[in-house]
Amino acid sequence: MKVEFVNPFISAAFAVFESVIGQRPERGQLSMRKTTFTTQQVTIVAGVSGQISGTALYGMSLVTAQKIASALMQSELTVLDEMAWSALSELGNMITGNAITLLANNGYDVNISPPSVIRGRNIEISTKTPAIVVPMMTQQGLVEINVALEENDMAQAKAA
Amino acid sequence: MGKRILVVDDAMFMRTAVKKILEQAGYEIAGEAENGEVAVKIYNETKPDAVLMDITMPVMDGVSAAKTILKSDPNAVVIMCTAIGQQNLVIEAIKAGVKDYIVKPFKPERVIEGLNKALAA
Repeated sequence: MKVEFVNPFISAAFAVFESVIGQRPERGQLSMRKTTFTTQQVTIVAGVSGQISGTALYGMSLVTAQKIASALMQSELTVLDEMAWSALSELGNMITGNAITLLANNGYDVNISPPSVIRGRNIEISTKTPAIVVPMMTQQGLVEINVALEENDMAQAKAA
Repeated sequence: MGKRILVVDDAMFMRTAVKKILEQAGYEIAGEAENGEVAVKIYNETKPDAVLMDITMPVMDGVSAAKTILKSDPNAVVIMCTAIGQQNLVIEAIKAGVKDYIVKPFKPERVIEGLNKALAA
């Protein structure tokens, strides 16, 4: 897992937040997380495949998820309905999509799968490689960006 | 009567947001689809004036769907509307006959401007 794979996700997350929610988050200290860990209450999961493969996870509390969904939908939500989950999933899609565009600029050919949103405490997530975690403080609360990616050799990437 | 647009995106939130933008600009919604396969089917049924097409979707992705639509109707007005903006994908889509390529997150004006231009051409 290279740190250079993480930077595009941080840049993309900041840019998307600034554009969609209208405020720039603050960045916390980068750390490592072993391959199996417990998620937050709400986790947006996006798969990455190609020359680099693995998972990007965006974790947050239920309260933060509700506030972010409200900001995206421009209305105060009291319950997280299907539309709110869809909005959070789309946020994950925009961050991951923008991140892989930046990875492509660095010469990595990668693709993403449609994200899903996991809800629930104490869910254990296993990744192929240790994750690099970057906390992002938004006006809506803490969002943890977890990036667990590894480089495939070209032959392997072509076969996939 | 406003031009009829087919809105294709797997995220219900995005379809709803785009439909609102289109309706406010005087466009009509020809239909909506949550993946490329459904998009091709609805395109053939409704023959919309233009299609706004996401790329990352389950079942059939937007580039494949755009190619399928443009193969059977070379005059189709298809605009990609996606979070991924890498050059090789943009080139692939434009080569296939797509009229415009909008990267998410976008400003509402950008979608309307792209549609107005593509439909005027």
